[in-house]
Amino acid sequence: MKPSKRILGAVAAVAALSLMAGCGGGGSTGSSDESSGASGGQVYYLSFKPEQDAAWQAVAAQYTEQTGTPVRIVTAAQGTYEQTLKAEMAKSDAPTLFQINGPVGGAVWKDYALDLSDTDFYNALLDKSMAVEMDGNVIGVPYVVEGYGIIYNQAIMDKYFATSGAKAASVDEINTFAKLKEVTDDMQAKKDELGIKGVFAATSMKPGDAWRWDTHLANLPIFYEYRDNNVTDMAEVSFKYNKEYQQIFDLYLTNSTIDPKLTPSKAVTDSMAEFALGEAAMVQNGNWAWGQVADVAGNTVTEENIKMMPIYIGVDGEEKQSIAVGTENFFSVNSKASEADQQASIDFVNWLITSDAGKSAMVNDLGFIPPFSTFSATEQPADPLAKQVVAYMGNTDLYNVAWNFTTFPSKDFKNSFADALTQYAVGNLEWSQVVEVFVTEWAAEKQG
Amino acid sequence: MIKSLRRLALVFTGPTIIAFAIAFAVPFLVGLYLSFCEFTTVTNATWVGFDNYVRAFSPRERFLSSLGFTALVTAIAVLTVNLFAFTVAYLLTRKLRGTNFFRTVFFMPNLIGGIVLGYTWQTIINAVLVQYQTTLISDAKYGFIGLVLLLNWQMIGYMMIIYIAGLQNVPGELIEAAAIDGADKWQTLRHVTIPMVMPSITICLFLTLSSSFKLFDANLALTNGAPMRQTEMVALNIVNTFFTRVGVEGVGQAKAMVFFLLVSGLAFLQLRATRRQEVEQ
Amino acid sequence: MSTSQHTGDAVVAAAKSAKHRDQQTRPGQFITYAVLALLTLVFIGPLLFILMNSFKGRFFISDAPFALPLGDYFVGLTNYTSGLARTNFFNAMGWSFVITVGAVAVIVFFTAMTAYYITRVKAWWTNALYLIFVFSMVVPFQAVMFPTVKIADMLGLSNPLGMIVLYLGFGAGLSVFIFSGFVKSIPLQIEEAATIDGCSPLQTYFYIVFPMLKPVAITVAILNTMWVWNDYLLPYLVIGLSTPYKTIPVAIQMMAGSYGDNDMGAMMAMLVLAIIPIVIFYLSSQKYIIEGVAAGAVKG
Repeated sequence: MKPSKRILGAVAAVAALSLMAGCGGGGSTGSSDESSGASGGQVYYLSFKPEQDAAWQAVAAQYTEQTGTPVRIVTAAQGTYEQTLKAEMAKSDAPTLFQINGPVGGAVWKDYALDLSDTDFYNALLDKSMAVEMDGNVIGVPYVVEGYGIIYNQAIMDKYFATSGAKAASVDEINTFAKLKEVTDDMQAKKDELGIKGVFAATSMKPGDAWRWDTHLANLPIFYEYRDNNVTDMAEVSFKYNKEYQQIFDLYLTNSTIDPKLTPSKAVTDSMAEFALGEAAMVQNGNWAWGQVADVAGNTVTEENIKMMPIYIGVDGEEKQSIAVGTENFFSVNSKASEADQQASIDFVNWLITSDAGKSAMVNDLGFIPPFSTFSATEQPADPLAKQVVAYMGNTDLYNVAWNFTTFPSKDFKNSFADALTQYAVGNLEWSQVVEVFVTEWAAEKQG
Repeated sequence: MIKSLRRLALVFTGPTIIAFAIAFAVPFLVGLYLSFCEFTTVTNATWVGFDNYVRAFSPRERFLSSLGFTALVTAIAVLTVNLFAFTVAYLLTRKLRGTNFFRTVFFMPNLIGGIVLGYTWQTIINAVLVQYQTTLISDAKYGFIGLVLLLNWQMIGYMMIIYIAGLQNVPGELIEAAAIDGADKWQTLRHVTIPMVMPSITICLFLTLSSSFKLFDANLALTNGAPMRQTEMVALNIVNTFFTRVGVEGVGQAKAMVFFLLVSGLAFLQLRATRRQEVEQ
Repeated sequence: MSTSQHTGDAVVAAAKSAKHRDQQTRPGQFITYAVLALLTLVFIGPLLFILMNSFKGRFFISDAPFALPLGDYFVGLTNYTSGLARTNFFNAMGWSFVITVGAVAVIVFFTAMTAYYITRVKAWWTNALYLIFVFSMVVPFQAVMFPTVKIADMLGLSNPLGMIVLYLGFGAGLSVFIFSGFVKSIPLQIEEAATIDGCSPLQTYFYIVFPMLKPVAITVAILNTMWVWNDYLLPYLVIGLSTPYKTIPVAIQMMAGSYGDNDMGAMMAMLVLAIIPIVIFYLSSQKYIIEGVAAGAVKG
């Protein structure tokens, strides 16, 4: 066999065929070439959240209309951003603007990310430490902040506070794990009286649906471990606050709508459905949750009654702890794109955070809580949970829990941890084994 | 005849070969090259030699254990799928009322894609297991059974079609002759029908083998490897290496190549074995 | 064993035993039907599940997946209207249709020729080609995914026509494999006779051989139709993202949101719509399978 000859032949044939395909394509116009007009640059943004696609398309159209710069926004299907980006980046017409999810994503894409330290949007950041820096370059700039905590239904809480022997008179009194446990234990005992199936919506452990525990909840012990060591990342962790993690996780499992043995059959949507239907009083989730339940048939939770409180895990001084506010959405500009396209992308982001139209789109259409100084206190989303997050951010008495999970070694690490948690929940693993998985997988995956 | 046909190689095979080269052959060679590289996208690869292959076999990668599990699922699935599909096809080629209806029904599962099917089955199986206070991923054996079930459900209709085509190609006279010769139904099946449909059996064995081995969608949707990666099949292991981890794309590519070699070898053996059983024309 | 001898005997004594056989099967028929009915339930259950839930509110799909869409649970066609509004479904259906029909036609036409050639012409390279085609079937798509997408992009194949070329490439393995299996069963004498009558190889192939391959061609067409119609990853990566040519599976997959924001109701509704055309296709082509298979019984 002479493979080299065969391959050459194949390649030649391929080239010939592509010519044919190009001619025959008639009506199907290509996507790239017609647009190198005006300033020369164009924007191709590979977006992250499918539910925001329509809003982004409107923003793109508006920007093109105002400036003449072509903007193409394409959204990756849910859960496939990395693989989509890997495919798109290799194409001739690669994204000029893309997103990374933090330092870990930054490490993957650092060869493709332009230094953004001179851009207006980086300099407009309220907190520059939020940006992703690597080798002295700013390679990712956050464009939205989000917050998560324990979301509760005020109506059910009020009903509880009115019961005889209630352990608290208002949610404000709940500011430690001990109090949270005391209240929710009592609520669970009175669940029939309150008309609920359980205090906490189901602990969703279905494969792929455990991120509230393997990522968001796991962020808290890691936040405290980093804080104790005064660092922002660690190659190895001891999972020092594992006991605290265990007790809040146990609390979720016990004071729940379902038997812990059945948690592996529940998805996040199931938990949110329970909360929306009024079957549960509390659910751990973030400000995006409102959009998922508002205006859906069967929802019983009103705009005034949906509130958020911090997740208390039993650490000293947690009375001063706030909700977890941060981001895993950072803009990066493709360093391998043409200079004109890079500039066009930077201009587009600048427009988003400075022009009235851009700001309105960010806040009202995309529902973002923007982390930029160019937005005034009134330029914030109207969503009830977003308002709560903004209020927490403005509360200087409390300290924020940073989103340190963006430094978690990999998705694989989270999956391993979730897997162990699931087995713990159904009673097949001891807690010490879960801790061991956490520690060893962390170290191993950090090595890459 | 053959001689004048021989000259027309380009006409008969050209278009297919070209398309095959574009879609598969050239990408496969690129993939082979990438398995010796470290890369993020296919355009920024750097050569690292055999490192990826060495790493692919380290126990942490769970590659070997996923191979073992895959082999187990495949063995059981190939056996059951073909047994059921052949039985159903056999029943449906006899003079029964409503065979058209049943054929249609059994073929239905093929009409929807794997991921959706996986989620639907997951809901259904969990609903059953809840009665026993357990779930699909509480114990690896449920995941195993679930995967085999799903594979059966998905492939029986597909294989049934091929078996029906094969069975209808068995000349009726042959069956009659066997009956005249005093063979009972079982003997006829064993000594006449089965040898005559051996080409179908070859195809079906091969198809079930390769699609069970490659199973990905259903695995992802049904268990995603849980509990503790015990139900992670090879394709899922490879895809997880690509997309859920950082800086190990080359290792994933290396695994894909090893997997390919292995399955090719297996398929080759299977084909040789069954081809020999076929009736010479 | 020698089947040809049996065949000889069989022709002589064919007619007698038809009655005999009917009598034999009667007692077993009840059991057969019972088994078939049970299987029907198992096979159709998940589809009914999807159909039923497509009429329920999304929370109720989570809350009570097996409840009938009645009372509060029933939301009418809301899922259908919201799904259609979100997916541009009919556009996607159009592209799915174009790509599927085009790809299947091309696959059947070209792979049958290829299979015929490499089965009839014995040479080192036809043997090698056969093996390469066969082995291509066992390679997981993910192993070639990125290079394929890159090469398709380089060659300007990011359009429906390009997709058809890619599908011919990916479909070649299975289709050539199935066709070759059946080409082998066609007696060479027929083609030789045609050649003696003055047919060129192309004429022989198109007038004599291809008609005989019809039953297999139909099987191949059906298998490929289902695959192409439901295929998600390839169209998603090649044309689903940055071109307007989204196919149905891509459009449906795009409905899932982040943070568990899934409108299962709308998704189920779109699935139902996606299944309908292919069910119709299958029902209408089924007749041809049976006819084709009967007509194609050319054993000596």
